[in-house]
Amino acid sequence: MIHRNLLLFRGARYLWWSLVLLLISGVLYATQGNVQPPNGGTWQGYVLGTLGALLILWLTFLGVRKRSYASTLGTVQGWTSAHVYLGTALLIIATLHTGFQVGWNLHTLAYVLMCVVIASGFFGLFSYLNHPALISKNREGGGRAELFAELFELDKQARSLSQRCAPEVGIAVASSIERTTLGGGVYAQLFSGDESFFVRGAGSPVRNADQQAVIDFVAERLPRAQKGVEAANLQQLVVLLCRRQAVLRRIRRDIRLRGWLKIWLYFHLPVTFALLIALVLHIVATFVYW
Amino acid sequence: MEALLRELHEGPDGIAEYRDTELSGAELTIGSAADQRIQLLGRAVAPEHAVIRKSGAKLEVSCRSGRRIRVNDEERSSAKLEIGDVIELAGHRLTIAEPPGGFDVAIELRPNESIDASEFESAFRTDLNQTWLSKRPAAWLLISIVLLVGVVLPAIVIVMHRAERDAPAWLMGDEFWNSGPLSPAHQQAAGARCDTCHKEPFVRVQDETCLSCHKTIHDHVSPEHLALTQLGATQRCATCHREHNEPASFLVNSSDSMCVDCHAGSQQKFAQLHVEPVSGFSKQHHPEFKAQLLKPTAIAAGSGFELEWKTEIAALDQAVEETNVKFSHSQHLDPDRVLRRSDSQPLNCADCHRLEPDGEHFAPITMENRCAACHELTFDPGAPDRQLPHGKPREVVLTLQDYFTRKFSDPNAGKSTRERRRLPGHEQEEQTCNGAPFDCAMRSAHAEIETQFTRRGCVGCHVVVDTKSESDFDRFQVYPIRFARDYFPAGRFDHRSHQIQGKLTGDAACLSCHKAKDSQDSKDLMLPAMAKCEECHGDRPAVERVTVQCVSCHSYHPQAAVTVEAPGS
Repeated sequence: MIHRNLLLFRGARYLWWSLVLLLISGVLYATQGNVQPPNGGTWQGYVLGTLGALLILWLTFLGVRKRSYASTLGTVQGWTSAHVYLGTALLIIATLHTGFQVGWNLHTLAYVLMCVVIASGFFGLFSYLNHPALISKNREGGGRAELFAELFELDKQARSLSQRCAPEVGIAVASSIERTTLGGGVYAQLFSGDESFFVRGAGSPVRNADQQAVIDFVAERLPRAQKGVEAANLQQLVVLLCRRQAVLRRIRRDIRLRGWLKIWLYFHLPVTFALLIALVLHIVATFVYW
Repeated sequence: MEALLRELHEGPDGIAEYRDTELSGAELTIGSAADQRIQLLGRAVAPEHAVIRKSGAKLEVSCRSGRRIRVNDEERSSAKLEIGDVIELAGHRLTIAEPPGGFDVAIELRPNESIDASEFESAFRTDLNQTWLSKRPAAWLLISIVLLVGVVLPAIVIVMHRAERDAPAWLMGDEFWNSGPLSPAHQQAAGARCDTCHKEPFVRVQDETCLSCHKTIHDHVSPEHLALTQLGATQRCATCHREHNEPASFLVNSSDSMCVDCHAGSQQKFAQLHVEPVSGFSKQHHPEFKAQLLKPTAIAAGSGFELEWKTEIAALDQAVEETNVKFSHSQHLDPDRVLRRSDSQPLNCADCHRLEPDGEHFAPITMENRCAACHELTFDPGAPDRQLPHGKPREVVLTLQDYFTRKFSDPNAGKSTRERRRLPGHEQEEQTCNGAPFDCAMRSAHAEIETQFTRRGCVGCHVVVDTKSESDFDRFQVYPIRFARDYFPAGRFDHRSHQIQGKLTGDAACLSCHKAKDSQDSKDLMLPAMAKCEECHGDRPAVERVTVQCVSCHSYHPQAAVTVEAPGS
């Protein structure tokens, strides 16, 4: 439950830090308005903006701290806990800085990028709190390598057993193994896309999602088996194919969970860098046309 | 292409075992994916790694883009193959052998038996970093987009503008830096040209830029006077006028602090200017109102005098308004004494006082436009259609002389020399004159002139001075009447918005501030003091109080340039 500790680190110390920051920001925001509408241009707005910019820089610095294994500047766990709470506070502080004024401009672009970063961060936090437990439950203690080793062992056994059956069974099983898909593109990994096929008799390949079609194909042959050996082989083959089906399901689920655990970073990081640039431009542009 | 693949394994007892597979097809695909003709596992093997095909009579191996294999211990991306050549990939060895009859190719595969189970995964793409998703290129792409719209396009447009060339309207240039909408009038003037106001980068908008359009604007303090204070330079226009804000109609920072910051400490900061300190709108924070009045002084001129009018500022409780008119508001508002001529109803305030379009001032009252409806200037009951001219004493004398001359010299008149004189208690008594008609006429005219200027007529409303001159033309001098146009020129007051005060409307609203029913003399200044305003207004939000700011009544930019008298004078 290391990830739970992320939020409860040292009695949620950084939650209190964030709440204090938010309180200060709220007071700053509320004291605007009798002079001109609240926005980033009042002195309170400048203070909120400076606070937000410093937070963004510090939050980005987590990426550096995470890789500095020799650093003794607080634990990575503590940094991450602060990252989550202060990042959440940033969303509110920056919103107060905008004074709820948005438009088609560089300033709102920076704000939107920041929102994307924070939203993807929320998703990441959700994933980190939920998925590890689901992943280890799905693997039942083993690793992914064990699942693949089991799969390839089953492949081998099924191939060799199917050679001893009728030719169309051999072709069906071999082709189902060859045309089994796992993972693949982004969509296939995240949504367990299954583009498996197998060759059924003389016809062209047919869909074999979840391996059900090939299991049915072999099982249908059982009642028509004429010799005892043939029936026993088919029986054994169905067992192998069903085990294979179960392993494949588990692997697909593992790929899916791991995918969702990691996908947010593909948004969080690139958009962070775009945000840093937009932030600098936002500040510079403000003073170019002062 | 018919191919024979012989897979060699070392059996449990150390004896080599082999399994032959016949493959046919245009090419032999090699990779870790299950659909490859030759499936080789291992981390170094891509799902689709290489392909062996016939090229003329020879065999050729070529890798997929970015992949490499070792051919005869040499790293290659493609190679022509001879019998005996060895291809090595992730520890798997493929040897090209002499094909037996009926086959085009024979390959001997010695798989890498030490491949770890964990490497089986490499047959599939099971991690997002094996897909097109990628953090670094995505970051560069996004950074490029931000730089393009945030720097490059604005820079292009700025350069075009500096070269006096128009940028295409669809091109979002430095407009993209706009932090908020311009007020509509400024938007119309500036359009998409930021440099209309922002002349120099990193320099705040200068007052000269504002004044290049706002040429007729006046400051509430003249530079000469400002120089006498310790206030320093005038505030920038942008101190109060904040652009690029929302709502777009917001342009003026109208907070009291803008005024009070200087005026609260006026005794220290304003040096000799003697301005009373103001720090808010209440008895403790704002000086009592003072009225600007006209004060006449008589100076000798010719045989008589002239009035010189000077403005005078006086405290409300001591102020006396010297208009030279004899008028009682109380009498005119008393229905037992005065009724409107047209419908016999009591007079309303608005019968005489008409609000001007500015909502603050009232149209000047003149004899002709207000009083004359009731007060006719007839002088002879026998000639009710004849009236004296108003405002021209000399004409009055001439008119009366002309009238009586005609009356006494008219041959058609029955009693040509009968003079009708009005005497107290003898209104209709007629007197006769037995002299020459002209003398009679002059005598009657003289008498009537004296009556008009001293007993009834002019003297009813005007102050008349008898100079005792022999000549009728010079004998009486009438004090001219002048009303102050604006008692509080430094303040603004909207009468229109005060026409309804709570439950009070109409005359009741007027009379709640102006005590006209109690005023019997035109000298009374019926102006309410600040306490009256405070009944409804305060400078900060409060229950049942309408908040007023400094600028609710006072203007920073007066209509005309301020020409305050030199200090000390």
